[in-house]
Parts: sequence; structure tokens; C-alpha cells
Amino acid sequence: MSEKQTTTSAAFLATLKRDLLIAFKKKNDVVNPFMFFIIVVSLFPIGISPESDRLTEIAAGVIWISVLLASMLSMDNLYRADFEDGSLEQLLLSPHPLFFLVLAKNISHWLVSGLPVVLVSPLLAYMLALPEEAYLTLVLSLLLGTPIMSLVGSIAVALTVGLGSRGLILAVITLPMSVPVLIFGTLAVQSTLNSQSPLGYLSLMLVMLSVSVSLAPLASAAALKISVN
Amino acid sequence: MWLWFSKLGSPKWFYELSGKWLPWLIAAMVVFMTVGLVWGLLFLPPDYQQGFTSRILIVHVAVAGTSLAFFPLLLVSGTITLVWRMKLADMVAKNAAILGAWFSFITLATGSLWGSVMWGTWWEWTDSRLVSMLFQLFLLLGVISLRSALEDSETAAKACALLSIVGCINVVIIKYSVEWWNTLHQVSSPVSMDTQSPNGPEFWIATLIMIVAVYLFLSVSLILSTRNEILERERRSQWVQDLVSKS
Repeated sequence: MSEKQTTTSAAFLATLKRDLLIAFKKKNDVVNPFMFFIIVVSLFPIGISPESDRLTEIAAGVIWISVLLASMLSMDNLYRADFEDGSLEQLLLSPHPLFFLVLAKNISHWLVSGLPVVLVSPLLAYMLALPEEAYLTLVLSLLLGTPIMSLVGSIAVALTVGLGSRGLILAVITLPMSVPVLIFGTLAVQSTLNSQSPLGYLSLMLVMLSVSVSLAPLASAAALKISVN
Repeated sequence: MWLWFSKLGSPKWFYELSGKWLPWLIAAMVVFMTVGLVWGLLFLPPDYQQGFTSRILIVHVAVAGTSLAFFPLLLVSGTITLVWRMKLADMVAKNAAILGAWFSFITLATGSLWGSVMWGTWWEWTDSRLVSMLFQLFLLLGVISLRSALEDSETAAKACALLSIVGCINVVIIKYSVEWWNTLHQVSSPVSMDTQSPNGPEFWIATLIMIVAVYLFLSVSLILSTRNEILERERRSQWVQDLVSKS
């Protein structure tokens, strides 16, 4: 940091840029959750049935649940490295509101782990025999739902950042909270399949997204202050 | 007023006061529990639709109603922990989470007992109350496991308080979204889920007695476990040592 007074927006951008840069340096952390997502989705037809009729029925649910699991796995990286090398403490000491710095970290995390999954979802939807007309709804619902998962999951990650092994406790805390997102995401796709408008569900998800953007970073920031003392 | 408030937070004061209340609460609990259980389970006339199965509901409704109180309780104690750093609130919260998980579990168990007779199935995903109670149980288990994972008790107190507040908001959202999900998914439901089918007034009086009994049971167990927690955490303080050496 320079000695000059920085503005909050500059700090926001600097955090965002730094996190993205680190993500591209450590490609493993980015690629593994993505691969996990693709592999889990591919296991379902083998475990349940290769018939396309049955796959059509479960496609939305399978993709959504795999997204939840993958986003949870990638969440683990959100604050851990920073906690271990001490830069998280620097973040807490910064004069700028922690809300925006946490938000920047969440956004960069979503860009790296959420967005690729959303982009590849039509391909997997095709493999699961989801009818074409539902692709757009699926992508839109994931586009609205995955940031909610990142924002809400960030609270749990922040609470458990000081723990040695926390993969499972993170799942126990976060997964029950993902129920509303899962419900509206899959309902949106189902209603498109029944040739109804999914707009109602998508707007509800938009509401949930705006509420979590404005509140979840507050909780994450408070959680970080509790965990790092 | 503030003196009273900070006094309330002192574990010693709570220990002494609750010691005075406890015999009365236990006596009231025993009376209500005996009347409710004996009358409700042995003498209540059978419901014209449900037969004697309705007697399960006396217990189920009381436990279910009480288990809805836990997240508000955790919300209040969590807020007190975070805002006023009151040690007592955290001791209550710790035991409330564990008790809440048990109450949710008993609610699910008695509910599926009743369901196994009335609906012909132990579990029914189309009943939104069943599903949201299941997720309330999961959220409470999350709070419990977070506390057991964090070693430092002060960090654990604040972390669990925050998680309880987030969980309380979440449990409301889950409840309504599950209801929504159900009304749209519901293709066939075995019977009307409405438990408030015309029952005699005895049924409601018995249920009311049981609700009071279960709330008393909740208070007694919460107070007992909190007293236990106080003794354990304050074991190095003078008054606890005096108490132990006296007895």
C-alpha cells in the first residue's frame, strides 16, 4: 500500500484484483472444484439410469445439488490461505469498511469458482437430456443462485477459518442453509419444462441475491473479527 | 434498570435465584405433566376420525410447539452475547441448542409415529412442517458441532451466537420456501394434513395442559443444565469453591 490515502473503492478493486491474481497463480484450487462438479454430475446417470426420460426428470436437481457441493468444496479456499499467511489480519486492520473488502473477496471467489460452473452447465444439461428450452432458465437460475451460495457460505467459512480440519463442519453448517436456493432454482427449471413462466422464481432468487449481497458480507465481516483475534 | 440488567448477567446471582425457583418449577411441571399425560393418554375420548391415535397428538403438538421456541431463544441469547458479552447468555445458548435438537428430534419421532398410523407412512416429504422441522434439526446440529469444534470458549460463544442469528433468519426463509415447494409439488397427499379437524374441547384442554407441562419441562431442564454449566465454568471462583466445600 502506498502512503497516500486510498479510497474505499480503490481498496475494493485492489482486493478483487489481488484475489483474482492469486487464483490464477494457484490453478489447482480453481480447477479441482470444477472437475469435481463435472465428475459428480457424470456419476448420476451411471448410478440411477441411462434412460433419457428419467434423466430429464432429475437433471435440474442433479446439476443444482452438484453445484452446491462443488461451491462448498471451493469455499474452503476463501479465507484459509490469507489466514495462514497473516494477510487476513492486515485486511481486518485496514481503515476501509470490512464490508466492501469481504464483498470483493466474495465476488472474486464467485468469478473463479461459480461462473465457470454456470458456463459449463448447458453442456451437462445436454448430457442429462434436459430439453433445450430449459437451458436459459437453468443458466439464469444458476447465475442468480451461485452468488447467494458464495455469500452465505462465506459466513460459515469465516466462522471456521481458525480450525485445522473443517471440510465436514462447513458442509454441516452450510448445506441446510442452501435449501431455499435449491428449491427456487429447481422450481424455476421445472416450471419451464411445464411450459410456465419461470420469471416468478427467478425474481424471488433476485430478491434473495440482493438481500444476501447487502447483509451476508456484514455477517462475514463480524465472523472474521470473531475468528481472528 | 441497568443495575438489574447487569445483575441478571452474573452467573452467581442466577445460580442463587434459580435455586429458589427450581423446586416450584419442578413441582408445577410434575403436576401438569402427570395430569396431561394420564388424562391425555389414558382417558381422553377417541377422536371421531382418528380414534385413539389422536392421543399421540397431545404429546406431539406440545413438543412441536415448544421446539419452535428454540431459535427465537437462541436469537435473543446470541444477540445478548454479541452486544453485551454476557457470559450467562452463552451458557443458556449452549444448552438451548442441545435441548432444541432433542426437542426437534422428539417432534419428528412422535410425528412419524402418528403419521405411520394416520397417513400410512413414517415419512412424508409432501408435509412441509415435517421437512422444515428436519432442517431446523440440521441447523441446530450445525450450531452444536461448531461449538464442539472451536476450542477457545470465548470464540465459540461469539461464533455460535452469530451462527444462531443467521440460522434463525434462515429457518424462517426455509419454512416459507418449503411450504411453497410443497403446495406446488403436492400431487397426492394421503390425508388432510390439517390436524385441527373438529375435536372436542377436552382435546384442546389436554393439549394446553401438555403445552404448559412441556414448557415447564423445557425451563427446568434448561435451568438445570445452565446451573451445571455455571459450576463448571466458574469452578475457579471463590463462591463455587465455598459452595462445594459446604456441601
